[in-house]
Amino acid sequence: MSRRNRILALIAVIVVIDVIAFFVVPPFDPLPAEDGTAVECVYPICFINGNLELPAPHPVFPVGHHSPQGLVVWDLSISNTLLTLWIVAVFVLVLFWFMTRRPTAVPGRRQNIAEWAFESLESFAMSLGGPGAKPYVPLFVAFFLLILFSNWSGLIPGVGRVIWFRAPTSDVNVTIGLALCAWFFFQIQGFKHLGLGYAAKFFPLGEFRKGIGAGLIAMFVGLVELLLEFVKPVTLSMRLFGNIYGGEVALGVLTALTVALIPLAMYALEVMLNLVQALIFSTLTLMFTLAAIEHHGDEHDESAEPSGTPMDPAVVAGAH
Amino acid sequence: MELGPLGAGIAALGVLGPGIGIGILAGMSSAAIGRNPDAAGQIRGLAIILAAFAEGLGVLAIVVGLLAIFAS
Repeated sequence: MSRRNRILALIAVIVVIDVIAFFVVPPFDPLPAEDGTAVECVYPICFINGNLELPAPHPVFPVGHHSPQGLVVWDLSISNTLLTLWIVAVFVLVLFWFMTRRPTAVPGRRQNIAEWAFESLESFAMSLGGPGAKPYVPLFVAFFLLILFSNWSGLIPGVGRVIWFRAPTSDVNVTIGLALCAWFFFQIQGFKHLGLGYAAKFFPLGEFRKGIGAGLIAMFVGLVELLLEFVKPVTLSMRLFGNIYGGEVALGVLTALTVALIPLAMYALEVMLNLVQALIFSTLTLMFTLAAIEHHGDEHDESAEPSGTPMDPAVVAGAH
Repeated sequence: MELGPLGAGIAALGVLGPGIGIGILAGMSSAAIGRNPDAAGQIRGLAIILAAFAEGLGVLAIVVGLLAIFAS
């Protein structure tokens, strides 16, 4: 069987599966109208409504509970995204515990995969942050793996359609939680490494020694930096949420409007984009941490060597 | 008249800028890799991160659109 025939057979199988799925799980709006009368199913609107998921997650634990509508809501319940997040976290933990169980000097197959994943991520982090990034590599890898598998869990067929499961990062509440964890982490690291010098980054009172004008300008710059410090968690969470949720909506709409192969191309694109987004979130956390623990005193002395860090974390964080 | 969807559509125009930015970034990083293929790995890592910065702004526009639809 030549390669061309194999590809054609694969396409035929996909089309057949798509047609079967169309009848088994019809992509219509499952809800009838409010007054109970059957509504006419117009082609684009009804199909899109059937596949569209709202930003607010569906609560699963208090059965029959309905959270209020809205993008960010305060509602104490266990939602389907939280449930999926727990499952993904347990999955990642068990997977890597299993892979690194009884480590040997000459790694076996399982241990090799885990070591390859960790070492390639570590070399990526070190190439961006220099040797100062070494203590934060475990956090980087942990964020990356959790977010990667959270993103990919939304691509499993059924997740998102079934009421109990949905990709965790497609919920804005989960991404805000992750971003707040990262934010508190790098604030605490900043205070731990610089002490009160970290607060002097935002309120540079020492600049008044150079004169009143320089002091006022430095105070203004410090206030802008303080504002940017609070913008960081917002952009971190909204970037992840917007990409993953937007990807899910795009997949759903394409599935509703077209058949077979076109959503598949989008699916392949989403696999790649989700990987990049996980990498972005963890890399930005690393960069913000490095920028927080970095001295930038008033004297630009010789301790700031030009080589060493291939990419200045302050430049990256400032480009934000 | 319900103006929420209209506002969402206008907010979605905000992705124009990041689109232009990512286009410039991709073109210039390709040119840089073509000029210096040995530094391809480093340039690629930098380009991915900077593209994410540009893309983050576009995503903010999308989130504003979502707010206009769902949070009103």
